[in-house]
Amino acid sequence: MNNSYFWITIIPLGIGTFLIRASMIYLSNKFTISDRLKEIFTFIPAAILPALVAPMVFFHPGESTFLMYKERVFALIIALVFAFKYRSILVTILCGLASLYLLKLI
Amino acid sequence: MIPIIPGILPFGLIMGSVAVNANLSNLQTTGLNTVIFAGASQLASVDLLSQSASSIIIILTGIIINMRFVLYSAAFAPILKNTSFLTKSIAAYLLTDQSYAVSVSKDSEFSSNNERVAFFFGNSICMAIAWHGSVILGVLFGNFAPDSLSLDFAVPLSFIALTIPTLKSKAHVSVALCSLILSCALFHIPFNLGLLITGTISIALAVYMTRRKNE
Repeated sequence: MNNSYFWITIIPLGIGTFLIRASMIYLSNKFTISDRLKEIFTFIPAAILPALVAPMVFFHPGESTFLMYKERVFALIIALVFAFKYRSILVTILCGLASLYLLKLI
Repeated sequence: MIPIIPGILPFGLIMGSVAVNANLSNLQTTGLNTVIFAGASQLASVDLLSQSASSIIIILTGIIINMRFVLYSAAFAPILKNTSFLTKSIAAYLLTDQSYAVSVSKDSEFSSNNERVAFFFGNSICMAIAWHGSVILGVLFGNFAPDSLSLDFAVPLSFIALTIPTLKSKAHVSVALCSLILSCALFHIPFNLGLLITGTISIALAVYMTRRKNE
């Protein structure tokens, strides 16, 4: 990958991520986080991760003509069920990939 | 420490193989792992980098994903209060979801802050070694894994595995659905701007919903 594009993106993100991690450790004497803000932070994964998932799944040029090229949507739904039941990254990934392989055979 | 390895290993393997697929050099992959050291934002960055998204969008997306570290930072602030600036900085760099979870789960077993700090460093250094090791394995694997294995699909799968356990109330589910639907509706907006708009509106919805509940 183009080196300058890569590092110009990654280094500021790295610095930003470090400053987020260090923020309260450095400044805890000056600020406290309100309970409401804490609660809002718990929404961050729900707010941003589905927005990353959608294009990778719904707009993926699929292979299965039978499933109208949307085999990844079906595999994701199956993986969602396993993610709810087992709450394990490993189980979700393995079940999701296995479903995709099976659906591609249809 | 051992119980968290199954959580890290698949994540690291995918990180490594996705990096190979996106044509990152070994130096870039190692640099990414060392400079950011946060799995979800790294996977999102590599995905966006391979779509040639603008740097600003990638940086802001990563920052939003990593905002949760403010909470962990706040949790460790009292423990690290009387340590040197260097110790604080190294501890901050090593903060991850896993090191936070492990430290919190063992918190009642310690009698002093020194023990807590020592335990945190022990567990987060193990975690860092496990992460780098599993990414190296992923790079090796990605170099010979055929495209038909569709390993790129493991990225959205790992994201849903990260999201599902955070959906602790109806409000959380609503925010996740809002994010899903908006990102599809805004998919055709250029420069991946739809992603940032979706993230902003979804967080605004969360702000609104938490206010309603507290009144």
